[in-house]
Amino acid sequence: MRNPSPLTEQYFAEGKVADCPVIDCHGHYGPYQGIYFPNLAPEAMVETMDRAGVRLVISSGHAALVDQARGNAEFAEVIARFPTRFRGYLALNPNYPEELKRELARFDDLGGFVGLKFLSDYHRYPITGENYRPAMEFAQARGLPILMHTWGGSGYDSPQLVAELAARYPTVPLLMGHSGHGDWAATIRTAQEHGNVWLELCAAYAVRGVVDRFVREVGSERILFGTDLPWFDPHYGIGCVLMARISDDDRRSILHRNAERLFGDALP
Amino acid sequence: MSTLEFFDCNALYGIPSVPCLEQAKRVGDLLEEMEWAGVSRALVRHTAMIDESPVVGNRLIVEETAPHPSLCPSWAILPPQTGELGTPDEFLASMAQAGVRALWTYPSRHRYTLDGVTLGPLFEHLVARRVPLFIERGETSRGLSGWELAGAVLQEFPELILVVVGHGSWGEDRYLRPLLEAYEGLHIDTSRYELDGGIADLCRRFGPERLLFGSAFPYTSPGGAMLTLAHADIADEEKQKIAAGNLDRLLSEVRL
Repeated sequence: MRNPSPLTEQYFAEGKVADCPVIDCHGHYGPYQGIYFPNLAPEAMVETMDRAGVRLVISSGHAALVDQARGNAEFAEVIARFPTRFRGYLALNPNYPEELKRELARFDDLGGFVGLKFLSDYHRYPITGENYRPAMEFAQARGLPILMHTWGGSGYDSPQLVAELAARYPTVPLLMGHSGHGDWAATIRTAQEHGNVWLELCAAYAVRGVVDRFVREVGSERILFGTDLPWFDPHYGIGCVLMARISDDDRRSILHRNAERLFGDALP
Repeated sequence: MSTLEFFDCNALYGIPSVPCLEQAKRVGDLLEEMEWAGVSRALVRHTAMIDESPVVGNRLIVEETAPHPSLCPSWAILPPQTGELGTPDEFLASMAQAGVRALWTYPSRHRYTLDGVTLGPLFEHLVARRVPLFIERGETSRGLSGWELAGAVLQEFPELILVVVGHGSWGEDRYLRPLLEAYEGLHIDTSRYELDGGIADLCRRFGPERLLFGSAFPYTSPGGAMLTLAHADIADEEKQKIAAGNLDRLLSEVRL
């Protein structure tokens, strides 16, 4: 291997690096319609995290993407059981706007939630839509990050729509889940033009050259690591970051430092 | 550093008709990436085999990989009935002469039907001589694609060694596992098999022999599949089989 990175050498040798405590900013929890998960239980997720040196996963319950109230409550229980290993995004379904408001009202009572989650492609409702307004105003008032599924060419959460939302709410950190997968140029432009836009790498990291290009054209300071756990083995994403032609300093920013800076004291 | 030796079953170079983000136009680009990542050998294709014609690409891949012992050339097939690549006997003799021991099929891009009527005369040879046939999951034929197409081919030729590459990352085990159970010749590459715990779970149920390390270079970063395998929850011997041993075994069993 000609890759000169000491971090890479350590990861391949040990599977984890003690002074690089990975923070996974894009996790889930619970069964989901189209996939078989071998490691479904929170205990199994923690085992995976331990194997890959992942200190913490910030997740949203799959159930909450359908039934907000039940799903968020279920994931709050997981956070309570593993308070040093999980934090939550309050998952919101804009197709049920009254329930969405009720979920926001109990954000503090649920405990352990540090941001909001939009899954607009799945809900077939645009991130710029009116039903999201209470959530956007809630996030704005509290400075809460919002992780949103984003995909190139989508009519619901494309990089262009993220740019529109970022301009409308310039103080709300908008985390582009999957980094607007596929429309890399528009994603880069959106991040360059809006300082409140962050690029989350889940699935995007697999595309050879994406991580390198984001670091080159946006800088490594607004790139976050995520895996959709329990979907994807964290080693897969970490391995992609390690093989990018970037510095170990950039890799550490992506794998944990940026998340520590963004979420601050909200993390254990 | 990982002690695994990696033999990539899914690498490609050449000028594609539609460029990808980081291209590998020349064989040197592939070799440079292999050296960077620590991949020691690769079963390799040329884009001309796919985007231009097997008649051209099959020749180029042999010529261009000849100076590089770390690269094993593979060829694409066409229906024997048009005679573009000769009769099955002539084609297999050419393979032997060129040192080619693995084949690829592109039924949708090369516009033929992937079935016994079209390819039976050739597939009978592939089965008898244990030549592995590779197919990208995105190929289509007979109105079928992905795992349904693989299943249809294996139903007609249950002894065929079929390697499906490019497992989708969004969860396909419910399609894949029944086929693994039914057909011993079915193998998959690991380039996008990202499922958490997936490799260990598959090995427990089907053994490690059905998995081949693949990078999907130049489209996919090799690091993901490499680190995932290096630290999968399986024995070191099983990891080495997947990293290189299984592909070595498949290629060594070919009788041309």
